[in-house]
Amino acid sequence: MFLAIIVLVSPIFGIILADIVGFHEPLDIAAERLELQDLSKNMNWTPLFKYNIPGISPEIGYIISGLLGIAIILGAGLIFKGFVKQH
Amino acid sequence: MHIPDGFLDITTATVTYIIFIVFGYYALRKIRGMMESEMISFVSILAAGIFAVQMLNWPLPGGTSLHFVGGALAGILLGPWLGFLTICSVVLVQAFIFHDGGITTLGANALNMAIIAVLIGHFSYEFLIRNFGNRDSIRFLGAFLGGWLGIVIAGAAVAIQIGYSQSFPYGIAITIPVMVGWHAVLGIIEGIITGLTIIYLSRRAPQLLSIRGDVK
Repeated sequence: MFLAIIVLVSPIFGIILADIVGFHEPLDIAAERLELQDLSKNMNWTPLFKYNIPGISPEIGYIISGLLGIAIILGAGLIFKGFVKQH
Repeated sequence: MHIPDGFLDITTATVTYIIFIVFGYYALRKIRGMMESEMISFVSILAAGIFAVQMLNWPLPGGTSLHFVGGALAGILLGPWLGFLTICSVVLVQAFIFHDGGITTLGANALNMAIIAVLIGHFSYEFLIRNFGNRDSIRFLGAFLGGWLGIVIAGAAVAIQIGYSQSFPYGIAITIPVMVGWHAVLGIIEGIITGLTIIYLSRRAPQLLSIRGDVK
């Protein structure tokens, strides 16, 4: 429940406020000033690039991505738990 | 803190991958036999929680932002090996599913967040507890120091990696002051959150502070 609340409010910080002030990590700022090329978009392998889902608003995509990430981690834990129980 | 693709040259990427794989292999050997049902649940819940909290980017006027990394918290609660596993699972999901951090730089990102931040957090906390007593003020101070120092040292590691990388046009004389300076400020929040979380858990769920058991 707590995790779901965090994910539900996360677009306020990750998308909305970030757009207002111009979100960048310190490393991104340094790279931008150095005009360094970020190759991420050129060699992307996932449709969920940076927590966005194509065709869905960034805010909703951010929430779904958050829930998906949590589900994957918890799911992996459950699978591992089942594996450990069997052996 | 997540280094994207293109920031590290092949040498730096390879060296960091090797450190990550060797440490990971050693960590998995250390925790073998200790991964019981309850422990796996705690590790995965903590990892899911840290993943969720990392999505709360707090943008700051001026164009930067901060978010909780959680390496020190994982190191304090679970020790260096399970703490590594916890943060590593977060970094892997971020990289492979959401491309948050590059694939060529995955070794470096895991090294910085899942190894350095976790180890610094763990040993800073343990040092203060063992030398100054296990009471609330020391627990908070240890966790704060672990969180802050973990972020600063991890930031310095990023600076060294990109500073030595031929892909990055400036050396460590520039990258270290920039990265350490930023993270010394942003790390204060990491330290405060880590400290408050440890104090909260020590009062409400003290059994979680000793859950790592005999994993050394």
